[in-house]
Amino acid sequence: MLIKRSRWGLIALSNALLFGGLSQSGWSDVPDFKQQIFSLPASAESLVVADLNDDGLNDLSTLVDDRLRIYFQSNDGFDFSADFAEIQFGARAVGWDLSNGFSSNGSTTIIALLDGKQAVYYPIADRTVLEPQVIKSDLPGFISSGVSRLHFARDINADGLQDLVIPGAGEISILINDSGNFEPPLSVRSEVRLRTQLNINRFNRSAGQTIRIPLLDLRDVNADGNADLISRTDEKLDVFLAATGDSYFPASPTYSLDIAAIEERLGDFDIDTLDFSNLTGVLALTHEEILEDIDGDGIHDLLLREGGKVSFFGGNSTGMDLEQPRQVLRSGGNVLSTFLYDENEDGLKDLWLWRVEPISVGDIFVWLALSGSVAIEAFIYPNDGERFARRPSRKVTVDLKFPSVMRLANAYENLNSEVEEIQDQGISRTTEADLEGSLEADDLVVLMDNQIRVFLNTIEPSQDREFLGALGYSQSRDNYEIDIREILNNVTLSGDPNLDVARSQAAAVSIDLDSNISNGDLVAAQINSDQLDDVIVFTSFDASQIRGILLLSK
Amino acid sequence: MICHQTKPSRIQHPVSSALLGLTIVLCLLTEATAQSNYAAFELEREENWRPLVLEDVNGDDAKDIIYSHYDPAIGRELHIHHQQADGGFAATPQRIEVKTETIAVGFADLRPDPGKELVLFADSGVFSLSTTQAGYAGNLKLLIEWDLIAAIPDLEETLFTNIPTDINGDGFVDLLLAGDDEYGLFFGGHDETFTLATRFTTLNEDITPVQRVNNEPDLDGRLGINPEQGVVVELRVELPSPFEGFVEQWQEAELESGSLLRSEQWMPGAVLTQLNDDARLDIAYINAGENGLGQMNIHFQHADSRFDSTPNWQSDLDSSGELQLVDMNQDGKVDLLRLSGDGDDWTARLYLNQAGSFNFAGPNQVMRFSGFDMSLEVIENADGEVVLNANFYTIPVVDAIRNASINRTQLLYGSGASEPGQVFNRRPDSRLEETFSAENVRGLSEQMSLRYDVDGDGANDALYVTENGTLAAKQIGSDLRIANEPFWEYVSPRTVFEFEVLSLNDDDRPDLLLRHGRTTTLLVAQP
Repeated sequence: MLIKRSRWGLIALSNALLFGGLSQSGWSDVPDFKQQIFSLPASAESLVVADLNDDGLNDLSTLVDDRLRIYFQSNDGFDFSADFAEIQFGARAVGWDLSNGFSSNGSTTIIALLDGKQAVYYPIADRTVLEPQVIKSDLPGFISSGVSRLHFARDINADGLQDLVIPGAGEISILINDSGNFEPPLSVRSEVRLRTQLNINRFNRSAGQTIRIPLLDLRDVNADGNADLISRTDEKLDVFLAATGDSYFPASPTYSLDIAAIEERLGDFDIDTLDFSNLTGVLALTHEEILEDIDGDGIHDLLLREGGKVSFFGGNSTGMDLEQPRQVLRSGGNVLSTFLYDENEDGLKDLWLWRVEPISVGDIFVWLALSGSVAIEAFIYPNDGERFARRPSRKVTVDLKFPSVMRLANAYENLNSEVEEIQDQGISRTTEADLEGSLEADDLVVLMDNQIRVFLNTIEPSQDREFLGALGYSQSRDNYEIDIREILNNVTLSGDPNLDVARSQAAAVSIDLDSNISNGDLVAAQINSDQLDDVIVFTSFDASQIRGILLLSK
Repeated sequence: MICHQTKPSRIQHPVSSALLGLTIVLCLLTEATAQSNYAAFELEREENWRPLVLEDVNGDDAKDIIYSHYDPAIGRELHIHHQQADGGFAATPQRIEVKTETIAVGFADLRPDPGKELVLFADSGVFSLSTTQAGYAGNLKLLIEWDLIAAIPDLEETLFTNIPTDINGDGFVDLLLAGDDEYGLFFGGHDETFTLATRFTTLNEDITPVQRVNNEPDLDGRLGINPEQGVVVELRVELPSPFEGFVEQWQEAELESGSLLRSEQWMPGAVLTQLNDDARLDIAYINAGENGLGQMNIHFQHADSRFDSTPNWQSDLDSSGELQLVDMNQDGKVDLLRLSGDGDDWTARLYLNQAGSFNFAGPNQVMRFSGFDMSLEVIENADGEVVLNANFYTIPVVDAIRNASINRTQLLYGSGASEPGQVFNRRPDSRLEETFSAENVRGLSEQMSLRYDVDGDGANDALYVTENGTLAAKQIGSDLRIANEPFWEYVSPRTVFEFEVLSLNDDDRPDLLLRHGRTTTLLVAQP
């Protein structure tokens, strides 16, 4: 492996051997790495970086088939061939995670939910995984077979104790940790995204199951300092206000919005009654629920949009009166969406009600061959702290211009071809890292042309994306334009704007890799005990191993 | 309900007076076998587009309507509308409770009682249940223990599956079940017994999970309205790495977004079809090859019904695009048809089955097409000739600007004049072009299908949704020309969006299923 340093016009050469380092005295601002070649079993599915034996050095955990393997770090780095321990979970369905809430000394341990019924943790003494300790048995969980990552322990009530969040079929059970004992489970309906395919005779298609359960929505809804629970499903929006009784959450929701009833009121889409001259009229069937503080008292209120009708329900410290809205606004036209944003900078969120002009079937046929535009208008209703103004104070128009469908299809095809060409040539990969402790800017590490190249202080801290920032929004301007043709012309084909930096600047450090890297990648992570990032470089993989190099900061 | 039937003779060229008499006789025969009366049953469900199964569960040789129903207070149920003797269906459904553990439901005739039983698939076993007995007690029977690849049931919708099928031709239903990284093949026997015949994996175990990750480039577009960014349009090119998300720096309090659980268990699906010269069903699947493309695998069924646990034949192939296994040369074995491309540029590659193997390095025929939304179907015409139907849309710029219209094209390629070693004729034998604009947009709801014989005369018809939202059929001539005028039309009070011709009872008359926006109509042909 060849290493070059170009910042000072110096090229330093070094062959990287196992645990080999780079001599670099005198160049304090150029990062120095200890290199270590590594290989993982081919069936390794992920790599988690965390200190699991409390020695101040991060270890590497990886799932190998149905076992969790932990490679321990020593002061000399890793010994991937011998210095590891394994956990065989011994259950068909396993959800695992890391937590520092269950071991007696507060160190980080592996935790697992076995067959949805029993939560355990695995203490680690030095480099030995001890027998699992039961956190809680007889749990009402239901998880998919195999070994999956499952974030089932978290401190819900901010008391410093890890609570349990156990997924089931269509619901989640929450068990609050009360000084080591768990409260009876509270089961709440949960939005579960499930895709199952078991049929035979679907050629070149797969059989199996994907399941995704979103994290719990925990927010302080009534401004009492406690995290409350919000559960949103297709049928209901339930709010459980915390710390109102004996248990942390009440057994039933404090208040509930019946979304199924809203949908029934709005009616179903029926193509037989569709107005072909105003396809956007179907927006009258849509609804939105926004749970946020509107009147500035810190307590969440509810903004409910049903078609063009917007209702504002005021929240209070014990709940919300959903029978009597504080205000109802009605808008004509095709209401696309609503959101809350402080337009007049008085500290109160104003109502932005977005409408779209009517679009007919005829328009769509025209747009097949000709470019077109659609005006999207926002009507802004100022918030006076009690309610919104009855009439909008301002209208903002965004003109969305687009090329013909044919041109869009061609542009898509061309982009696809160019992307395939790039892929055939080999994709360069980048990662942002802090390699020298600079607060001003991050460094860039690039894997390209069979080299690792380091560019110092090239990544400026990312700016928060401003409201309508790309359009140059200001309070004094009401008309804006988005041109999709321009966006198409400006697509970065590499998919990574950092590569432009790599191509236009000289690298501070270059490391030649011995082999031809065709499908490698690199990731920055803090592995050793300093506060600087290290870099994991994946160089190759085949049926037996995943190979790479650790660049450990010195 | 109105049904017009004005089907002309299939003989189109000028005829002599002698032939005219024959034509009239043929017309009369056609009329005699054609159906013009249907018993119609309109089914209204909350979720009209969800699956609906048609099976005979009570043994009267008439298929019943079965669908999943959910009530938050009750949970999941199967609703069964039994078909009546007059071709109608019972207005009130029989209701079958679906237990929480049930992941999927199939249908098979397992018990001596007439009709099919329900086959219930749970995460660790398969059970049978008769709908003719009330409840589960004394009715539910464990057929086999098997850890299914899916472990979590959808508690609002019951999944239907086609798993039960007779694979070895002994008259008993068999089960080919996806499990933990492997399939299990269970042969059925008397008294609901099942025996594990073989296990095999469809995963290529010579490659790593990292290699199995799909790293095809992708273009991602997004239009959003939100309080953080206002209105935003984004177009991103994704060049995914096989190591995407592979490394995680763990931090205790960093769980504000993402998922509580994200789990994926998938493996290549198996297909049962005839792949060699015997009449037995074989197993085929495509998995990931080492070269980043695909790999086709075949397990042949031996004479004693045995399957080997490893493939008997394998070959790399480019598996991108749409792949169909279909018999294109009428030799009783399926061939492979691959359609690839995007936008308006498409290529079909045809590979003929050579006694159970394929040469994917050299297709037997390559056909190129230009048009959007390309689809190909292989059918057989009345003369027994194999025909390729290419169906696509074009947007002639002048027409689009002047009339705001697009064209839908059907190209029919016969096989009678194909080049040696090829399958279909080089040039289309017929071309049907239709123009659609805002005025007749309803006709675009579904492409014209040549798969069905709507009048039961043994010849496929060109079935399509008209601009009025009705269903009509045109005759396909022996010269593969599609007639200008329909010979049959079903006028439904609601717009038709999808259709299917099927057999709902034991007569020979074709029945129909019509999907409307919010309802589904079943039409059972009457004498």
